[in-house]
Amino acid sequence: MSATPGGGSRGRRRRFGDALRMLARSPRRALFTAAGVLLAAAMLSAAVVITDGLGGGFARASARADLGDLIIRFDPESARTVAAKLAALPDVSGFALRSEITSVGVRFGAHRSGTAVAEVLGPGRRQGFAVVAGHRLPAGGAPDVLVETAWAQAWGIAIGDELDVRGLGPERVVGYAEGPDDVGYPLGAPRFYLTRAQLVARFGIPTVGPVNFAEVWLRDPRLVDEVLVQARDESYGLRGLKFSTRAGVQVLISQAAGLVIDLLVALSVIALVTAAVMLGAAARAEVQRRLRSIGIRRALGAGRWALAAGQGLEVALVAVPAATVGTLAGFLATHGASGRLLSLLNEPAPGAGLILPLLGSWALSVAVPVLGAAWPAWRVTRGPVIGLLRGTDVATSRPRFPWPARGGGGLTGLGVRLVAARPARLVATVAMLASSTAFILLMIALAGTLSSLETDPQELGKRYELTAAAPAAAAARIARLPGVAAAEPRYELTAVDAYELGELVDVVAYPRQLSRFEAPPLAAGRRPHGADQAEVGVGLADALGLAPGSALLLELPSGRQLDLRVSGTVNSLAYEGLVAYLPAAVLLRADPAAPEQIAVLLAPRASTATVSAEMRRIGFPPTLTAGAVARGAPLVAVLTTILRAVAVLDGLVCLYALLQACALTVQERRSTVAVLRACGASPGAIARLLSGAVVTLIAPAAALGVLAEAWLLGPALARLAAGYASLDLAPTRVDVLAVLAGLALAGAIAVWAVTRRALAEPVLAGLAR
Amino acid sequence: MTARRLNRREALLAAAGGAGALLLTGCGSPRRPAADGSTLASTWVDPGTGQLQVGPGEPLRARVELGPARPVGAALARIAHLTDAHVLDASSPARVPFLARFGPPLQSTFRPQETLTVQVLAGAVHAIRAFAPELVIEGGDLVDNNQANELAHALTVLAGGTVHPGSGPDGYDGVQLSSDPDPFYYRPDIDAPRHPGLLRAAVAPLSVPGLDRPWVPVLGDHDALVAGELVPTPVTRALAVGDRALWQPPPHLHLPAGFRLNPSGSPDGPPDPRFVAAFLAQALAGPTVTVGADPTRAELAFTVADRLTAAAAGPGRPSPTVGGRLDGVRDIGAAVRLVVLDVTRRDGGSGGLVVPGQPAWLAEQLAAAGDRWVIVVTHQPLAGSTEGGERLLEVMDRFPRVVACLAGHTHRNRIAARPSPAGGYWMITTSSLIDFPQQSRALVLSETSGGGVVLDTWMLDHVDDGALGSVSRQLANLDAQGGRPFRFAGTPRDRNVRLFRRAVA
Amino acid sequence: MAVIEARGLVKAVGTGRAARRVLSGVNLSVDAGEVVAVLGRSGSGKSTLLHLLGGLDPPDEGEITIAGERLTGARARAQDRIRLGHIGFVFQQFQLIDELSGRENVLVPTRLPGAPAGGVRRAEALIDELGLRAVAAHRPHELSGGEQQRFAIARALVNDPEVILADEPTGSLDAANGATVLELLAHMTGRAVLLVTHEPEAAAIADRVLTLEDGELVGAGAGAQRR
Repeated sequence: MSATPGGGSRGRRRRFGDALRMLARSPRRALFTAAGVLLAAAMLSAAVVITDGLGGGFARASARADLGDLIIRFDPESARTVAAKLAALPDVSGFALRSEITSVGVRFGAHRSGTAVAEVLGPGRRQGFAVVAGHRLPAGGAPDVLVETAWAQAWGIAIGDELDVRGLGPERVVGYAEGPDDVGYPLGAPRFYLTRAQLVARFGIPTVGPVNFAEVWLRDPRLVDEVLVQARDESYGLRGLKFSTRAGVQVLISQAAGLVIDLLVALSVIALVTAAVMLGAAARAEVQRRLRSIGIRRALGAGRWALAAGQGLEVALVAVPAATVGTLAGFLATHGASGRLLSLLNEPAPGAGLILPLLGSWALSVAVPVLGAAWPAWRVTRGPVIGLLRGTDVATSRPRFPWPARGGGGLTGLGVRLVAARPARLVATVAMLASSTAFILLMIALAGTLSSLETDPQELGKRYELTAAAPAAAAARIARLPGVAAAEPRYELTAVDAYELGELVDVVAYPRQLSRFEAPPLAAGRRPHGADQAEVGVGLADALGLAPGSALLLELPSGRQLDLRVSGTVNSLAYEGLVAYLPAAVLLRADPAAPEQIAVLLAPRASTATVSAEMRRIGFPPTLTAGAVARGAPLVAVLTTILRAVAVLDGLVCLYALLQACALTVQERRSTVAVLRACGASPGAIARLLSGAVVTLIAPAAALGVLAEAWLLGPALARLAAGYASLDLAPTRVDVLAVLAGLALAGAIAVWAVTRRALAEPVLAGLAR
Repeated sequence: MTARRLNRREALLAAAGGAGALLLTGCGSPRRPAADGSTLASTWVDPGTGQLQVGPGEPLRARVELGPARPVGAALARIAHLTDAHVLDASSPARVPFLARFGPPLQSTFRPQETLTVQVLAGAVHAIRAFAPELVIEGGDLVDNNQANELAHALTVLAGGTVHPGSGPDGYDGVQLSSDPDPFYYRPDIDAPRHPGLLRAAVAPLSVPGLDRPWVPVLGDHDALVAGELVPTPVTRALAVGDRALWQPPPHLHLPAGFRLNPSGSPDGPPDPRFVAAFLAQALAGPTVTVGADPTRAELAFTVADRLTAAAAGPGRPSPTVGGRLDGVRDIGAAVRLVVLDVTRRDGGSGGLVVPGQPAWLAEQLAAAGDRWVIVVTHQPLAGSTEGGERLLEVMDRFPRVVACLAGHTHRNRIAARPSPAGGYWMITTSSLIDFPQQSRALVLSETSGGGVVLDTWMLDHVDDGALGSVSRQLANLDAQGGRPFRFAGTPRDRNVRLFRRAVA
Repeated sequence: MAVIEARGLVKAVGTGRAARRVLSGVNLSVDAGEVVAVLGRSGSGKSTLLHLLGGLDPPDEGEITIAGERLTGARARAQDRIRLGHIGFVFQQFQLIDELSGRENVLVPTRLPGAPAGGVRRAEALIDELGLRAVAAHRPHELSGGEQQRFAIARALVNDPEVILADEPTGSLDAANGATVLELLAHMTGRAVLLVTHEPEAAAIADRVLTLEDGELVGAGAGAQRR
């Protein structure tokens, strides 16, 4: 070991050589550190891909597509009338009108659909969607169309192919388009774009005709609410009016993805902190192990900086390749699935935009372990050199846990004693292991729940799984069935706004417990808390200018009027947000004959099939709530893939943490192990001793981990998701037992591996310390 | 009303942007509006976003269509023109606010800023006091609906004192309450831009200093007619002081036969009062709302003319109306004469009407003016809004000392040159105080070398110590059916200009 | 009867270029009740010899028998058992476990599986005998060197072994404490004590003094006293 002061290239090479030699001396330790860094780096890069990729998706998409700040849909109206109204609005920098035609039949090869949407575009360059391949629609009357990328991918439509459109005949696909104001096929309807000029040229229709869609760009998008007010005030005569702002579109589109992003980011942070703490602990222990050698080098004149740098360099030699591999691994594990998800949402992949953040995450994955190694070395050389030479690091207090006088405990007890003798270290390690345990429990609970989640975007917010056509009186009987958590009457009918805006409003009412059965995320205000109060969907709020405190007047089919106060607005995807939720008493007063059904909420993990059979038996055959699951299936599949990849990474991180903690504990007890072996302890005895040590770590960690997941992490995440879906994240007995078994297994593996290592080392080596 | 969830990136960017913005606002001096409201010093500018900002003043531009620019000499008269204040009782049952949603020409039946007319008038008075004219012309439509309480409020503002702008037992009980479910009204507690408590503040008592200088009234259609259209009938009178209000549109409201929505129609409604009467009849047959009655809402019909004259004349001076008409003459100093013509229809309808004998009377007054320079004032512009207006213009064309013809009614700043063999004169209309730009006009007539005159005119923004005036101006600017889309502010050549008029040949 | 019996022990230490033979065919036998001292320069291999005899290191060649049981060639478990039941070590650096009190350190061998019964009783007796009762609850870093080494000796004796192997037992002690320790070692009734040291004063208590030179054990004259 040289301690050459000063630098120069010779000095650098020498330090480099020293570091390599130190690594070569303990290859297993180096590999262990490398594994830790690799996992942490993978974790971090996965988080980067997800947050930057998914989180920034809508912003990228709307920037690229030049999405309007306000999108207005209405029943067909003369383009001149609409243009005049839009021109009178304040803050408008431009607008584009188009005619959106739904239920168009399309055919391509063996694929067929009767629900395609044709966007007939007016003139103008700004249209609110991006052409991502091929070229823009030509100005003339050629039969050219642009199709949505996600749809093209799903049906294998290439640029240049011909799409058969009912009513138009073969249309040539000249490019792919992505409009971020709606999700892509198969989550949404297949969408294609063509110009009105084409229809004019082919069918001789007037150049300017009726439109039903306006995309508006504002000079100052922050004033969108003021513009909305003016737009509504001007809109008398327009019917079926629906407004959506850019921010509103983002909320709706990103809802499902947003949940995943938030969860993944939260989970990544937890795992990352765990990995960082763990690497730091390993580095600190390493320094402790080398106290004497560090002391000797200090005594010989090595500077603090050189020593710290040496430690850091050693770790850097391991961390750089490990972080590189880990960063790549994390990226590869997640970017495919996240790309697919983005495509479903009509959002572009970040592409080269990820390079910089990934470089940053790589740098962090290297910097943290290197600093974690250099810093303790720097700190430990603070005091007098002689302290280092003595290699002291013993707690100075009286024994806290005296060894029982007779029998009890034996070697296992000794193992416990040894670990408990350093309470601060014990607490830190247990905390770290507990967080890893909680984390793994959370992942298991989440995976189980997510796969059974109905994520059809139409149904988010609905928590009941079954409905039955039955009178309100049957609710009590159904509620008593096994597997049923609650059953309540539910009333639903269609009302109309009282001001002839032509808005059809879906009115939903429950006698009580509205939020238990159906609770879309709250956008503003509060849940209804008094008679005559209702919460309304954001779509309805925008159409009628409602805000918390507003009055709402609806006309029911019975001819009576519903006079309501708006308590809050909700992000409900159902019925495009034209929905009002209110207490059944209010509805029934106005319309005693409102159609009713029974909504059935199943107990956690209860089987729909079993409960359905029961309900059929007592004469109330049920229907499943979310009939259109197929639409959401791809989304679920992609989300589950991402979660699984992250879960595996995170699980490995936790396993590493556990092994690392056990190894460190044993490492520091080598002299004790050697003494015992010198006294004649068999390998089994050594294993018992180490088991005691490991159990001292695992047992409280397991208990704390389970409690932390059940009381902290699970509820926190469930609250985060509460707006989107009902997530039951409490661990079941089976989950807990599985995790405990896993922990025990991991502990056993750790004991076995470390015992083997301890026994492989000559007794003398242990004694020599 | 749509929630926005900031993700981490956006939060960081917003924080960075906010910090940057703070830095930027530190540099550069924030502009303040001129304390006297003069647009020579500062103006209110809309950068295209609908939000008004203080902008640079507009200097006077010379207009030489009626005579070359000449060096300016002594000032002959200093006049302020304040018109179309439309002081309004927003709680009155005698209103049909639901008509506004049809668009022009009915859009004036409801405005988002209609509760703030007293405050804006007070602000205009403030600006005019700072200008210190010798005479103020109150150009007509001082009130909106021929109601006694509207007139009382307006006259108190002009005379000085304490105004209680509300009416009825609650101060305000109208369509802008937050409990009103009708989405076509701007409700300040709920709709953006939100101004919670605005309705209460609008009816709070207001102390005003008054004009404190002579003023002369002009009779406008809204002064004398219900909604500027109808001669008060027993039905409308009962409605005004009654407890039934017409807030909700009647079901299946339909346009009366022969009525066409006119995108360029005058802001004062259709010229034919029968249409408004037809709407009113439909409304009375539909649902009504119970409100608190207030006898001070009584309709005045043409007695308003007497009250105006009496108020303008001041206490103790006789009221010189002739036959209930407000035609008259007023001299300013030794060199200028004002001729006021009353062309408001007595049988209903918002347009002007020249009655027999008026042209002859005008000719008499112009001849009697001698060497004085003459400014003719009407409420409705003689060209285009007044039936028979051409005859009066022909009279004026013959007299070389007519310098300008001032009017209001269109709510629009506009200055056109009217050449004539006798030298020509300037046709000037001034914007209203109720619609954007909510401005009055300052006028200074001065001699020029060579015997001609120059009429300097510039706009005055209303100023206030409180915020209500600014709120009114901002709401007026946002209004998609108001002065901004209809370009009532005019062009710079219609606002701050030097209008040269050559010497008499 | 020879409690320690070693024949033809060969051991090389170091690797590669640094490898050298420290023991080249050493023979040794120690009877019960005998105190044998092994002298030699530092690096002569005397500690190595001790480690071989204690089963802490396997010899390259040769045989070792402890209390009639063959040590060399036995399985690891058997070796542990022999160590547990028949051998007590005393180290130069004491090798006490820091986290345990003096008394607990003495008890350590009694907790090991396979330990003979009565260990606690013996431990308490030893602590009293060696005058350590007052400091029995203290941790090693609170004890003087002499006290620590006496605890180590008590630990070595607690399972009543036939053999005591002491590696430089006074190397870390001052003269007074060292003398006390040597006294204790000299009066181990009925046990075979093999003492490795470089101090001639320590050798004075031995019945036999051997010297390790050039890998061979050379017998010296009898010590000052002989039991």
